[in-house]
Amino acid sequence: MDAVEKANVERQKKWTKDQKVGEGAYAVVYRGREVSTGRKVAIKKIKVGQFKDGLDMSAVREVKYLRELHHLNVIELLDVFSSKTNLNLVLEFLDSDLEIIIKDRSLVFLPADIKSWMAMTFRGLEFCHRNFVLHRDLKPNNLLIASNGQLKIADFGLARDFADPGYKMTCQVITRWYRPPELLFGSRYYSSAVDIWSVGCIFAELMLRTPYLPGESDMDQLKTIFRALGTPTEEDWPGHTKLPDYVPVGQFPKTPLRDLFTAASADTLNLLGKCLIYEPRKRINAKEALHHPYFFALPYPTHPSKLPKPISTQTSRPLEEVDGNVDLSAPGPAVRAAAPNKLKRKLSSPGDELSGRPLARRLDFTLKT
Amino acid sequence: MANRPNVGGWLKGKTVRKGGIIASNTHTRSNTPQIQSTSTTIFGGGVKDASGRTSEYFSMDDQCPVCKSDRYLNPKLRLLVSSCYHKMCESCIDRLFTLGPAPCPICSKVLRKLAFTPQTFEDLTVEKEVAVRRRMAKEFNKRREDFSDLRAYNDYLEEVEDITFNLINDIDIQQTEARIALHRAENATLIELNIHREEQYAQALREQEDSDRRDREHRALEAKRLEDEEREEREKGRRDIIDRLETSNKDAAKVIARSRADALKRTSARSATTTTLQSNSKLLRSRATQSTVIPDVPHVPLQDDYYAYDDRYQMRNYYDDPLSEAVRKDREGIMRGGGYRVEEAWDRALRCAVAGLDIPPLTGLDSLDNEGFPGHQADVVVASA
Repeated sequence: MDAVEKANVERQKKWTKDQKVGEGAYAVVYRGREVSTGRKVAIKKIKVGQFKDGLDMSAVREVKYLRELHHLNVIELLDVFSSKTNLNLVLEFLDSDLEIIIKDRSLVFLPADIKSWMAMTFRGLEFCHRNFVLHRDLKPNNLLIASNGQLKIADFGLARDFADPGYKMTCQVITRWYRPPELLFGSRYYSSAVDIWSVGCIFAELMLRTPYLPGESDMDQLKTIFRALGTPTEEDWPGHTKLPDYVPVGQFPKTPLRDLFTAASADTLNLLGKCLIYEPRKRINAKEALHHPYFFALPYPTHPSKLPKPISTQTSRPLEEVDGNVDLSAPGPAVRAAAPNKLKRKLSSPGDELSGRPLARRLDFTLKT
Repeated sequence: MANRPNVGGWLKGKTVRKGGIIASNTHTRSNTPQIQSTSTTIFGGGVKDASGRTSEYFSMDDQCPVCKSDRYLNPKLRLLVSSCYHKMCESCIDRLFTLGPAPCPICSKVLRKLAFTPQTFEDLTVEKEVAVRRRMAKEFNKRREDFSDLRAYNDYLEEVEDITFNLINDIDIQQTEARIALHRAENATLIELNIHREEQYAQALREQEDSDRRDREHRALEAKRLEDEEREEREKGRRDIIDRLETSNKDAAKVIARSRADALKRTSARSATTTTLQSNSKLLRSRATQSTVIPDVPHVPLQDDYYAYDDRYQMRNYYDDPLSEAVRKDREGIMRGGGYRVEEAWDRALRCAVAGLDIPPLTGLDSLDNEGFPGHQADVVVASA
């Protein structure tokens, strides 16, 4: 056994794998524990063998960026090790995500709750952007919620660092409902403003409790956007007609945001409007957004520990503790859980997944096996 | 009463030979002290109890140190405390201070009539400490959130305690007062803000109590309504059965069974709606109780100190850089339209070039070595703030 292998085994020994909690497009997620402290972790097992070109691109990106980013509002990558042919990422364990919370009809959101979530999202995003990383897949389902209520940006599978001048980037990123118009028009040169558009859509979704711009196809997405915000003119957004995939989708009049968000304050609509400006260079950036009057106005943002949480995770907590203990004493926790996954494993290229199903990467943390 | 020096044994009922009359008399007196001041409006203040009244300390041994009159001779005797913490009776106060400020007959500090307060505690040093602490609390009201770290907060608390101790024990009074004035001047806005916060908190508590009370009333009403409805329902069901038995010619047992089933269905439907109502109110109530436990704090845009120091470079408007040629040649505005900013690339290149310039080279893992460069360690932080 050479030194590298020995080091890997050392690392692997630090973590135990319990039951499976979810399945992504290119990975299976298990619940696990740190052996020394008993702290709960999530272990993301990435299959290496099944991809022709070696390791899946998203896994590389995830490791590359999460290894460097450490922030309260960004998911923490605790460790990386390999087992047999698989790559394992050890991430902090988070019990729910914003999508579950938005969909849980028994929860009541106060304006202060939305403010708190938005502040945490912008803080996490500001940290990514300050370190020159574009997330490129922001959506409620990728904003995970820790048990203490802290919101954490997760899933850096599509992340990328800022491009050098003249380098092309792919426009097939970001789940469609949260994709900004410049990407829909096929721009290969874009900036951090793409993430801000997504945050704007999430902001609106938190208020409406339903997706703000749910387009059925890429074409329909543009139409949906224009129907909601009005077709941009050359004055609103200089140069957009020159973008590679530009197609006229029809003229729609501008409607004030006030018509849809009847209960929102003026500050709220001002910030939302600035996140959803067509011209990407004029769109607000994360740092400016954090200094927007919306966040300073009363009511103060809710303390994270008091934010609404899905009831299912709250009631099941004691139960979890019990089977956690049982699994800790069991000798081989991973074996039992691993068997059925082989049948369910999916093969899909990231492009397919993005255009086909907007919610494909969902990890269902409420699932108990 | 027994150890009062200047009152002879004849005061105690048992030594007096005129039967039990006087004895019982003193007894009643000790139970019903007559504190009815002629000037309660002037001598306000003192510690208020829960109902808002001023609870005042007095004892049967009270004696005015100035005129030597005591409670036995004057049951209406009321002693008040001066700002130099000496007691005297109301009539002495009236006599001495009505014509303006005059020296205290005990310590000869100049006093005013209005500066006398009722006594709350038996021990006057406690009285003084409470007064000093109340005054301190009004001005030294900073909170943990107002400090960057626990150390600073603890230092502040220690200073407050120090000043309080000095005031209570009359040590360096002038110097201490100067310290207080300085603090007041420095923190005027913060003090104001914290007073405001306290008020808000008190307001929240009141609202919470109100909403709880309303909730209880609402639930009581609901329960009553339900009971009435149920009674009506039963009544109606019974009439229904009788009506049906009268009109139809089916089997009696069947008719009864059917109407019973109907009634059951109705009640179960109703109970389902009420349980959701209850759980909803419980949910809101639990959120309300939470909100008083952990107060929400104002928004802090960034919670790290990444932007706390100056960058070691200044961005220019333009750099002659061959790489960004493509962007400049972008006549069609394709890159511009997509929102690409060449400034971001420049900023990144510069930041990466100068990041770490101020960080001293590692000289080993011993922490003592690092302390040789105070203030230089956190100058540039990249990706780990």
